[in-house]
Amino acid sequence: MLSTLELSPQTLDVDAPVRIKVKNLDFYYGEHKALKNINLDFRDRHVTALIGPSGCGKSTLLRIFNRIYSLYPEQKATGEVMLDGRNVISNDVDVNELRSRIGMVFQKPTPFPMSIYDNVAFGIRLYEKPPKSELDDRVEGALRRAALWDEVKDKLKTSGMGLSGGQQQRLCIARTIAQKPEVILFDEPTSALDPISTGKIEDLLEQLKTDFTIVIVTHNMQQAARISQYTAFMYLGEVIEFAPTNTIFMNPSKKQTQDYVTGRFG
Amino acid sequence: MTAVTDPTSIPAAHPQRKTPKGTFDLIFRNASFLSALFVLLLLAGIMLSMVIGGWPAFREMGIGFVTGSQWDTQQDVYGAWPAIAGTLSTAFLALLIGVPLSLGIAVYLTQLAPLWFKQPVSTAIELLAAVPSIIYGMWGLFVFVPLFAAYVQTPLSNIVEGMPIIGTILSSRSPSGLGILTAGIILAFMIIPFIASIVRDMLDQIPSVLRESAYGIGATTWEVVRHVLVPQAGVSIIGACMLGLGRALGETMAVTFVVGNANRLSASIMDPGSTIASRIANEFNEAIGLQLNALIALGCILFFVTFVVLVIARILVARVKAF
Repeated sequence: MLSTLELSPQTLDVDAPVRIKVKNLDFYYGEHKALKNINLDFRDRHVTALIGPSGCGKSTLLRIFNRIYSLYPEQKATGEVMLDGRNVISNDVDVNELRSRIGMVFQKPTPFPMSIYDNVAFGIRLYEKPPKSELDDRVEGALRRAALWDEVKDKLKTSGMGLSGGQQQRLCIARTIAQKPEVILFDEPTSALDPISTGKIEDLLEQLKTDFTIVIVTHNMQQAARISQYTAFMYLGEVIEFAPTNTIFMNPSKKQTQDYVTGRFG
Repeated sequence: MTAVTDPTSIPAAHPQRKTPKGTFDLIFRNASFLSALFVLLLLAGIMLSMVIGGWPAFREMGIGFVTGSQWDTQQDVYGAWPAIAGTLSTAFLALLIGVPLSLGIAVYLTQLAPLWFKQPVSTAIELLAAVPSIIYGMWGLFVFVPLFAAYVQTPLSNIVEGMPIIGTILSSRSPSGLGILTAGIILAFMIIPFIASIVRDMLDQIPSVLRESAYGIGATTWEVVRHVLVPQAGVSIIGACMLGLGRALGETMAVTFVVGNANRLSASIMDPGSTIASRIANEFNEAIGLQLNALIALGCILFFVTFVVLVIARILVARVKAF
């Protein structure tokens, strides 16, 4: 069973600093308590996967880090999510500035209704006014890093909506990294894509972790095993087990984790 | 064994169709075809009778019917230009005032409003859309017009008097409250519920993940609305505006109350004027002979203008969609 998972040799730097520290975090949808006392450390320039059955709260947790939940007045978080010594869920945080430092890629590709070039330049233009030549360079750089440049370099002025699903998702990744965030959140980024596009995105994640701290929510356990160094298994709003990915998949300490990663439930 | 597995028992469970003939299907097919044909016949019938009815006026006046600005029933001289200009300018003013307000309402309701405020405003919009136009006309004449004359027209005339261009456009000869601008404002009130509710529905239909990803790269509400949501709903917003324009062009009752029904053409939007629909409504009762033909010809022109607006809307929508 476990041998069917291809575990890549993961380079784990145990001395890497903690980029996001979650302490005693609770989350409420109205009256419903969706997350209970979460404590997790996300290490700098590592990929951390959040796995667990539907409704376990993994996407909810991800949506706290960039405060997307605060678009909805009935949703509330209490506790600490420390990023560079600041609690991002406190009210005095500038959420727009926070979101430019913590990028997010969603389940479905979300190109904006504008040209490919403008899609990537949009996020840069929000916070900086670089001269045209520098903007061009940064757009090209982001598209290259997202492994999309060769496919779109001749049609930068055409609409981003005309690309295929996999290309659109890489466009969204390019848009996110063009802002030079510190952390990138991926919310099931390949769940709407075909296997080939999925493979491309996974290769991309592998390269992005040299520059960015990555948190990825995934339903696909093979994917978590392939690309992450740390994995948190969540169930019913709690973190059941958090450990290096190899440990979670080869030698989990909790029975529930073992059952989930071997496919006995979930 | 028993009847359960007996193959002969199967037909009992699958009764034959009673009438395998296609008679009913044929009737159904023809009936729906005739219903569709009816629409074409109706349109052709209306167009034809309008053209035939209006033809004598076109023949007598020539191109002067469209360009002439004299409308004299005594001498049987009919020029429709003041009415055409009035129709276009009231409708334009209505869009100018109504579209920004409608977009504001729709954006606020879908993006910003707290729940307790959203429901009452949404209901109010639906109710406003259902108010008959004669109510708008009465309210406009008895409530809005006196206030407008006292608090806007009179002071404004004093301020702009003598100014070049602005003075011409905004000063009123006699501040009665009636006029092209008043009609435009009342029309704006009438089309706001339509445009606002369509745009609200369209903004609501945009997947929340698109909105979240725009916020997710640090855009403010204004930037999300301006650069992502409005362009995303662009086609439908143009469509909604054109629907509003269509209503503003053809609206009769409310406009007739407040436009002033003057036959002359004035350069000021504060002065009374008339629209095609208000002219027809005013004169239809007593019209005979060439005057009746002229009114029908006016209707023809309104028909044509509305048609052109529809075509322009189609072209705009197609161009936006192409991107």
